[in-house]
This record gives sequence, structure tokens and C-alpha cells, in this order.
Amino acid sequence: MTVDRTVAIAGLGITELGKVYGRSARSLAAEAVRLAVADAGLRLGDVDGLLVSNGLAGKVGVELAGALGLGQLGLLADINAFGATAGVMVAQAAQAVAAGAATTVACVFADAPLAPKRSAGEAWGGAGRKPRTLTGLAGWQLASGGVNPNILYALAARRHMQRYGTTSEQLAAIAVAQRAWAAGNPLAAMREPLTVADHQASRPIAEPLRLLDCCLVSNGGVAVVVTSAERARALRHPPVHVHGYAQAHEPRRMHAGSPWGLVTPAARSGPAAMRMAGIGVGDVDICELYDCYTYTVLVTLEDYGFCEKGDGGAFVGDGRLAPDGKLACNTGGGQLSSYYMWGMTPLSEAVIQARGAGGARQAPRNDIVLVSGNGGILEHHSTLVLSPHPRTSSGGLG
Amino acid sequence: MSDGTTGPPPTGVLAVGAFTAGAFPLVARDDASAAFFDAAARGELLVRRCLDSGDVLGPEARTCPGCGSARLEPFVVSGRGVLVTWAVVHQVPVSVLRGAVPYVTAVVELAEGPWLLVRLVGTDGSDLRAGQPVSARFVQPHQPDEGSGADSGEAPGEVLPVFAPGEPAAVSGQGES
Repeated sequence: MTVDRTVAIAGLGITELGKVYGRSARSLAAEAVRLAVADAGLRLGDVDGLLVSNGLAGKVGVELAGALGLGQLGLLADINAFGATAGVMVAQAAQAVAAGAATTVACVFADAPLAPKRSAGEAWGGAGRKPRTLTGLAGWQLASGGVNPNILYALAARRHMQRYGTTSEQLAAIAVAQRAWAAGNPLAAMREPLTVADHQASRPIAEPLRLLDCCLVSNGGVAVVVTSAERARALRHPPVHVHGYAQAHEPRRMHAGSPWGLVTPAARSGPAAMRMAGIGVGDVDICELYDCYTYTVLVTLEDYGFCEKGDGGAFVGDGRLAPDGKLACNTGGGQLSSYYMWGMTPLSEAVIQARGAGGARQAPRNDIVLVSGNGGILEHHSTLVLSPHPRTSSGGLG
Repeated sequence: MSDGTTGPPPTGVLAVGAFTAGAFPLVARDDASAAFFDAAARGELLVRRCLDSGDVLGPEARTCPGCGSARLEPFVVSGRGVLVTWAVVHQVPVSVLRGAVPYVTAVVELAEGPWLLVRLVGTDGSDLRAGQPVSARFVQPHQPDEGSGADSGEAPGEVLPVFAPGEPAAVSGQGES
């Protein structure tokens, strides 16, 4: 008989989200951890592992452990793989629990970039930031103008459009579908219906990307609690089992032959996580995909193998991702319409869907939920395969 | 006339006044970039080449991504390349580019191999396609308050390499409007 080393997500904590002013990132993180621990039916003193992910404004840091009064930790780390961090934290927690380094690991992200009288663009390192001194090659690069994620993702999306004929209207279909899902999510910031025409009429940020191709900016915190599957069964909610995880990191290569913008590290991370889970894309009921931009969703679907490379535009363009479509995707509205908590946005919605707690937006089937994280400029990727069912030794569902 | 491989640079420095004031922020040199800006002032694009692999790399490279070597030498490229991708930037990304929007920023692939993130001039972005030829240009930034030049106490910024659609000869010496 083998020891059951599988793990599950047993708790989810989400603070107030959006224009939450006057609170530090650390304070929001502390609240998210408390909420997640209570959600699991545990006490703070049960937590013996803490993984922390910082956002843009205000450090959460390992100091959070002290702020929470956690004095007996077997695992404590500040982890950063940008937008891929949430999946990396869950994988790290799963390995620590399986190895016996910790039994109960809280993973938390919190950020507070928004301030009164400051636009979302300014909050995200934009025009409100103090002018940088323009010196040397870095100054020349800044003058060249490819200086923030909006612009760099626009360059990536344009490359895909030029190579494969992908259109702005096809990207719009992603924003429209996610907004329709958001209508059923009480946590979503943007719930009024959206049309392709609305998307096309939204102001250009960095063409080909328009305002409605870009994610929101939010203040808040989200935490999950990872523990052994065996222990999770005795806790308050049905366990959300972790069947697979993987990550892939490929710093963008600025040279002839580089696939940047066309193929991302998702092409390695996704299949690896699905192999670990013993599933294929045909088994996936729900996708919760990192959506810093509409384009990120499209290229991730291709890289995961839901369609052929280059066919992503046609794949999403027929309403497939909408609530009445063939593939439930970003069922909470994602970062485009609900809240921007980096990788915790897709992860939190995945936990809600796997529990069957999605209410008006609950997808019809939830046996396999695929979660992605993407960071850098399509350079860092993490994938999780989650399920309400335990993983059996034979590789199938229990 | 350049033969496009090892000859002299294809174009000179575009005249002050060819661009809207504020289109390019002033950039100051430092020790590490002095040779790059000296070359730009001569109408040459200076990058680096790996002494071990022979790969031509961007001007900012410190090691060769192909072989890991840190033995890099300065290398003047032809200034010819092709357009990989571009974006038309409307929202001001940093305050020093407030006078620049809308502008076109692009990834170009130099004939020698490296990709550069550059400003693309001589186009509003509506007439471009991936793979079309582009070539280096050199601009002298000036600021709105510069006025009569000699009266300004501020030193002018360095000459900046940019790119434009087309072969070097086709638009050589032309200003942009």
C-alpha cells in the first residue's frame, strides 16, 4: 500500500476587491489568509507554511508571517514568477505537503496599486510615475517607446495577426464572452453586457489592443490553503484536488527565429501538467486562463492544444467561450471583467467552480478544471489541473 | 552607395525640425553608451558581436544568449532589416513620451540577426506588413522650449537610432513630416 501524497485546496479567502482605499497590501494579505483559513474550517495556528506573492504597490513580504502571529512555520517564502506565481505557489505547496515539510500551506497575493484620483493606467506604472532619467542605452530604449506591458503585448498580438490572420474582432469575442460570464459573478467589477461593436469603439491603447482588450486594475487580496487530500476530506468544504501542475519559463529571445508572440511557454507547461494529471484537452470541462489581455487567452488556448496553432481566432470567434458556448472559459469574467489579482483570479474562480459554488455562473460540468498563469511578456507560465474528485492511482478520476 | 553589408551607413542624421517638438525625449550618454552614441552621430548603428559564436547581438547585450560567452566586441551593422511586428501607441506610457503619441514602435530584425525594439518613423502604422524592408535612420531630438538653439542653456540630447520603412536608398536624406 502506498501513502497518499496527493494534495487539495481546502480554503479560499477573497477580500473586498477593486477601489479599496486606505489599506496596505500587507493588511489585505493578512485578511485574505484569515478568510481562507476560516473558509477551510481551520484556525490560524494550524498554518505551518506560508507563501507570499507581491504585486506592484507595497510589499507583502515574509513579514506577513509575523503580522499574522505565525510562529511555528516549516515553510516560508516570498515567490515571484510574475503572473505565473499563483500556480507556482500551489505547486510549491503541494511538493512541501507531499514531502512532509508542512501540512497546511497558505498561499497569498495582495496588492493596492489604485489610489483615489489616480487612473488605472497610472497605477500600473504609467504616466503618473515620475519621469525616469533618460541615460545611456536604457534611455534610448525608453525613447524607442516599447516601454510597458500594454505595448509589448500589442507587439505580440500584432505578430500573431500578421502571421495567422487573427483579427481584432476575434479578440473582441473573448472580451464579450467573459463579460457575459461576469454578469453572473457578484464579485465582478464590470457586469453590464458588452458587444463586439463596444469593443471596437473602445479607445485604442496600443494598437492592435484597445481598452477592452486590457485587464482591470484592482486592490485586494486572495489566498488559498493547500493541505493533504486526506486531511481536506475532513474539513468544511469538498476538497479541490490538485491532479497536475507544471511550469515553463522562457525569457524572450530577441533574435532571428524567435517564436516570441506566436508560441509561449504554455506550450510546454500545459501538456506537462495534463500528463501529470493523466488527462488530455478533451477531458477539460472548464478553463480558467490568465487574461492580462484578450490575446493571452487566445494564444494559451492554442498552446494548450485546444486548437491548432494559428486557429485561435476562428476557435474563439464563434462564441465558443461564452456561457452558452462549447468551452466554459473564464467563468467569473476573468481579469478583463471581474478583478485583477494576477494568477489568483483564475485560481480563485477555479476553486469556486470545482466546488460547484458558482451559483448563476456555475458551469454544467466541473470534473476537470484547467488553470493557467502567465507572466512577463509571455515568458513565464504555470498550469494547474484541479478536480472535485480524488486522483486515483490508475490515473483516471475516482 | 552602400552595398548593404559592410559599406558605409546608408543615411545621415535627419535635420532638427523634421519631427514634432517633443516627439523624442532627450537622452544623455553614459560611459557604457558613449561609443553607441558617437556611432549614431556618424549615422552608424553600433551593436555587439560574440567573439566566440560570431552571433550578432543587440547593443545592450552583455553575454551571448547562444553560447553564454561574455566576450563581445562592438560591431557596426548595415542598418538594413525587416519588420517583425509593430504597435501604434496612443496612451502615454511614461510622461517623457507625452509629446510623442501617437507613435509607432516596432520590433525589427536586422539583416545580421538580432531583434531591436525601435521607433518606426515615416509611417502612421496603417500601411505596414510583417516582413517588409526597414532601415535605420538617425534623429536629433529637440525639445519644445529649445527655440533658437543657441539661447537654450540645455545641452541637446544624443542622436538616436530609429527605423523607417523601405530600403536605405529610397528615402535617403528625406525628413519626416
